[in-house]
Amino acid sequence: MINYLANPIRFLKFSKVATPIFGTLALITMIWGLYLALIKSPPAIEHGQSVRMMYTHVPAAWCAMMAYTALAIASLVSFIWRHPLADSAAKSFAVPGAAFTFLALITGSLWGKPAWGTWWQWDGRMTSVLILFFIYIGYLALWNIIPERKRAARLASILAMVGFINIPIIKFSVDWWNTLHQPASISTPGAPGMPAEILWPLMMMVAAYSFLFGWLALRGIEADILKSRKIRSSDKPAAKAIIETL
Amino acid sequence: MIRVIIQRDLTLAFRSGGTWLYGLFFFAVFIALSAIALGGALNVMRPFAPALIWLAIIFSAMLSFPAIFQDDFKDGNLAQLKISGVSLINLCIAKAISFALLSIMPLLTALPFAALVFDMPSQIIMATLLSIILAAPALTIYGVLSSAILAGRGGGGFLIVLITTPFLIPLLIFGLEAIEGYATSGLGAIEFRVLIGLSLIAVAVGIPAAAAALNANLE
Repeated sequence: MINYLANPIRFLKFSKVATPIFGTLALITMIWGLYLALIKSPPAIEHGQSVRMMYTHVPAAWCAMMAYTALAIASLVSFIWRHPLADSAAKSFAVPGAAFTFLALITGSLWGKPAWGTWWQWDGRMTSVLILFFIYIGYLALWNIIPERKRAARLASILAMVGFINIPIIKFSVDWWNTLHQPASISTPGAPGMPAEILWPLMMMVAAYSFLFGWLALRGIEADILKSRKIRSSDKPAAKAIIETL
Repeated sequence: MIRVIIQRDLTLAFRSGGTWLYGLFFFAVFIALSAIALGGALNVMRPFAPALIWLAIIFSAMLSFPAIFQDDFKDGNLAQLKISGVSLINLCIAKAISFALLSIMPLLTALPFAALVFDMPSQIIMATLLSIILAAPALTIYGVLSSAILAGRGGGGFLIVLITTPFLIPLLIFGLEAIEGYATSGLGAIEFRVLIGLSLIAVAVGIPAAAAALNANLE
């Protein structure tokens, strides 16, 4: 499957079918999920109406992590096989990933105000999501600063892989730091006793976010392939002089 | 080969007219600014002193990171070294050692003076020094890695900070926890072992990654 899709032309053929499917599924599950979450599900006993924030917050945080995992895998493929499609994929995972991380931070902060009484807590989870956001920004900045595409892809993949190895270490150290300095104040949304009328809309929103992520990533890869093809077909000067001012 | 590269780096640094000491001056400026910002009362500043010293060292090191490979990349030395068959891993190890000697060592020698101006108790000075020594390999190697990634790209000052920060956060956390742990359980504190572990992981992951990044930049 992956081997088959590794060819950009075949990939474009595949994505021509897959992209609209992902887009429609994202739209349908999003509308349904929002209906379930905002209208049908009951307000929580201790959180009141503000619990509805969970349906936008938790999927965003999960998708942010998922996107980084996908990014790291694509980076590994790109580093080992030097495949241009994997570069496009890694780059296209990063932008929605950063957006989801930012969304998770914003919704978390908005949820934190009614739930804990502060916009921000230096608690383990929020801090590690914030650091994940920094990692995404560094990764995207690296893509931006290096003009040669192949080199940018290679360096960015190295950074992404080292970053991926470091994520559990960062998580562990932030948790360690947090347990020493902060009282535990989190209600876990994934607790086993979660009733079905809350679990269902949550799962629907997770599906919606995942399809949205898939749609954005596919669109990004398509755009990237078309862009690199355009660069290749456009007339290039025979030689390029780079003049550096000292 | 490692020894030769280190010798060369040291010679170049000593002939440079003291540019390798700028990091030290930055450290002093950072400490002075912190003292001014905090109002200058010793009893207010004393609890923050280890954190301020740690921050001063991390920022000073981060500002020195771009220099690790930049000059050698620009004047073609790195390309020559690669052509002449020097293993890039050895090169990265040599660069890490010379960075530790030229940029971290001066900071370590300045640390007791910074401790004096904050009037820190001697036990805490000892703990701070130990925690920084144990974290120094990781600090150095992530510097070598991000410098290798950004080799030859001027104006990468902010970017290098952005790229390295996530890697340095565990060091900062455990470095400061180790200072607290030293007060109760001395050198046996778990945090010291964690710092050693972080440094070992950095050696295992960072050096090959830096060599790969250097290779990509020299292709």
